[in-house]
Amino acid sequence: MHRIVVDAMGGDHAPDEIVQGAAEASLQLTSAEIILVGDATVLGRLLPRMRHDGARVRVHHAGSYVEMDEKPAEALAAKPDASIIVAADLVARGEGDALVSAGSTGASVLACARRWTLLEGVRRAALAAVYPTELRRGEKDDPFSLILDVGATIDATAEDLVGFAVMGSAYAKLVSSNRRPRVALLSNGTEAGKGPPAIVSAHAALVETTELNFIGNIEGLDIPRGVADVVVTSGFVGNVVLKMLEGVSETVVRLARYAHKERLAWRLGLVALSSAIDQLKSITDWQQYGGAPLLGFTHPFIKAHGRSNARAITNAVKVAHKALAGNLCGNIARTMAELDERQQRRPRAGTTPPVPSGDA
Amino acid sequence: MTWSRRLSKLSSLPIKVGERIGLFDHIPPGLPAGARPPKHTFRWDLDKTYLRTEFDSLRDLAKSAVETAADKQAFPGATALLRALCQEGNRICIVSGSPTQMRQVLAAKLALDGIEYDEFVLKNNLKNILRGRFRALRAQIPYKLPAMLQSRIGAAAEAETLFGDDAEADAIIYCLYADLLANQVSIQDLERVLVASRAYDDDANRILELARRVPKGDVVRRLFIHLDRRSPSLGFRRFGPRLVPVFNYFQAALVLYEDKVLSARQVIFVALEMIDSKQYELGHLATSVQDLIRRGRLTREVALQLTAEATEAAKSGALSGRTDLPPFEKIAEAFRERVRELGGVQPVTWESAEPLDYVRLVDEEHEHRRTRRKQGLG
Repeated sequence: MHRIVVDAMGGDHAPDEIVQGAAEASLQLTSAEIILVGDATVLGRLLPRMRHDGARVRVHHAGSYVEMDEKPAEALAAKPDASIIVAADLVARGEGDALVSAGSTGASVLACARRWTLLEGVRRAALAAVYPTELRRGEKDDPFSLILDVGATIDATAEDLVGFAVMGSAYAKLVSSNRRPRVALLSNGTEAGKGPPAIVSAHAALVETTELNFIGNIEGLDIPRGVADVVVTSGFVGNVVLKMLEGVSETVVRLARYAHKERLAWRLGLVALSSAIDQLKSITDWQQYGGAPLLGFTHPFIKAHGRSNARAITNAVKVAHKALAGNLCGNIARTMAELDERQQRRPRAGTTPPVPSGDA
Repeated sequence: MTWSRRLSKLSSLPIKVGERIGLFDHIPPGLPAGARPPKHTFRWDLDKTYLRTEFDSLRDLAKSAVETAADKQAFPGATALLRALCQEGNRICIVSGSPTQMRQVLAAKLALDGIEYDEFVLKNNLKNILRGRFRALRAQIPYKLPAMLQSRIGAAAEAETLFGDDAEADAIIYCLYADLLANQVSIQDLERVLVASRAYDDDANRILELARRVPKGDVVRRLFIHLDRRSPSLGFRRFGPRLVPVFNYFQAALVLYEDKVLSARQVIFVALEMIDSKQYELGHLATSVQDLIRRGRLTREVALQLTAEATEAAKSGALSGRTDLPPFEKIAEAFRERVRELGGVQPVTWESAEPLDYVRLVDEEHEHRRTRRKQGLG
C-alpha cells in the first residue's frame, strides 16, 4: 500500500477542492492510502460531504498553513505547524511515501529541502514543469513535455544539468509511458559548442551517456514544437522560459477576446473554430496532468498548480501513486550510480597521468 | 385461461418444483408456542449488504442470477460479524429483495459461510409478474416493511439492529420501521407514505393491519447502512445518530462494541477476516477507527479501551496460531496513533433530530432512482 500525503490547506481552492480531489482518488486508487494534512476540524466536516472510502482517507492535524502570497522562508519559520511542514515531516519520518501540494511553490520546495534528503548521487533537486507541445509522445500520446529545472536551483553546474537530465528522463519514462524520452539541453543554438560553459560541458558529458536518449541542444522555439520530451536547463533560465510561455498563452487568449469584440467576421471565424479550440483545450488541459514533480529527493513530491481544482488534485495523486508504483526514486538513484561508476572508470579528459617525482 | 386459474394450476405442482421456481412465499413461522422471545433480533439485507452483488445493469443481473453459491462473495468481515451475532438468545432474520428463485443458491452460500439464520425472506417476483403487478417488482417499502412487521409479530425481541446498504431505500424503510414500533409514526402518516411509495391497495391495507398489530416499543437500537456506493455519509445525518453509515464491517463491529453487543475479541475476529481477505491492511482498519471518531460515531475513549481490551484478549491466546500478523502491541499502537493524529479536534455533535418527513423522503428516493436510470446507473 502506498501512502500519499496531501497538503489539504495549500492552493487557491483549498481545502474544498483539494479534499474533493483526494476523496475521488481514494475511490480510484484501491492500493493507496491518502493522508490529508490540515485543520482536522475543517477536513472532518468536509469529508462526509464527499464520496470517498473512509478506510483509505485519513486526516492528520496541522494547526496552520502557509498563504500563497507569504514569503516562504519567513512563513515556515513563523509557522512550524504549517500543513506543508507537517506533511513533509510525515514523509521524512516514514509515515508517508509521497507528497502532493497545490500550495506555495517556494514553501513546498523549501519544506522538502529542509526535511528530506537527496538521493545518493544527486547533487541538487530540480523542480519540473509540463508544457503542451505540437508533437506528442509515449504510448498514451502525451502532449506535455517536461522542462526542468524551473526554479529549485538558480545556477546549475554541468554535473547538476546531467543529473537533471537523468531525473527528467526517468520521470518521463514512467509517467508518459515513454520508453526512450528525447532529452535535450536548452541553449542559444543547436551546436555543441554554443552556450555558457556549464551547457557546453553538460553537452559533452551527456553525449557519452548510453542510458539517456540525448538529442543535443535545442533552442527556445523548439520547446512548444515538442522536439524534445525532456528539456534540461538551469532553474533561472527555466523559470524565465516558463513564465514567458505562460505569458504568451495568456496574450493569445486576450488577442482572441479582442478579435471577438472587434469585428463580426472575426467573431464568426472564432465561432467556426470553437469546436477545434475546445478540442485543443482538452488536449492541452493541464488539469489532466495533475502536477509536476520535484525530483532528486528520496521521496516523490508532486507540485500541483496553485489553481488546481478537484480533478487536477485527483490526477496529481495518481501521478504520485504512479511514481511510487514505478519506483521513480529508485530508478533515478540507480541511473545516477551507473553514471558515477562509469565516470570513475573513465580517465578524465584533459588530465595527464601523474608524473613520478624525482625524489621517489 | 385466466391468470388466477393458471396460478392455481401452478400451485398444484409438487412443492419442491414450486420452491425451485419461486412460487411460494416463505412467511416466517415465528416462535413455537411457549418459546422465550429473543433478546436481540438482527435483520440483514443480503445484496450489497452481506453479499458483494452488482445489479446496476442487465448484464450484472444476468451474471448474478447464474452465479453458484461458491462464486458469491461476502464483504470482508461480514461473515465474521454475522457469525458473532449468531448467539443464544439472538435471532437472525434475513430479508432480501432477491427473487425467491435464488433461495437455493443463497441458502447454500449462507451454509458455506457457516451462517445460521432463523428467517430468510425473499421477494416473490414471479407472483407479482403473474398478477400483473409490475410496479411491485421494484417496490421496496411495500415489500420489506410488511416482511419485517410480520417477522416481529411472530417473534418480538427486546432490541433490534438492522443492516442495509445505500443502494436502495434501506435507510428510509428501516427508520420508518423503527419509528412505527416506537409509535412515532401514526397509522394515518403510514397511509400517506404508502400512497407515496405507490403500494397496491391490498398491500397497503395489509401493511396497515400489520402496523396496528405489531408489538410496539422503542426497540431499534442501531441501523447500519453499508456504503457500498460510497455515498456521502452526511446524506444520512438527517436520520439521526441511531443510523450509522459504515464503509466496512470493522466499523460496524466497533459501534456494536461501543453498544456492548460485541466483545473486543469478537471485534478482533472481524478485523482478522478483513485482513485475511487481502483487501484490507492494518492501516485501513486504523483509518476506519479514525473515520468513525471524526464523524462522532465512536468516542476516543472507547477506541482506546478497545485497544487495551484487545491486547489483553490477544495475550490470553485469542490469536494463537496467527504468526502472519504484526505483534498486537503494534496493532494497538497503530490505532492509538490514528486517534492522536486528530489533535484536539472536536467530534461532530448531534442536536436533537427533527421528526422525519417520510412522504418527502420517499418522493426524493423515487426522483433519485429516476435520475440514476436516466444516467444508465440502474
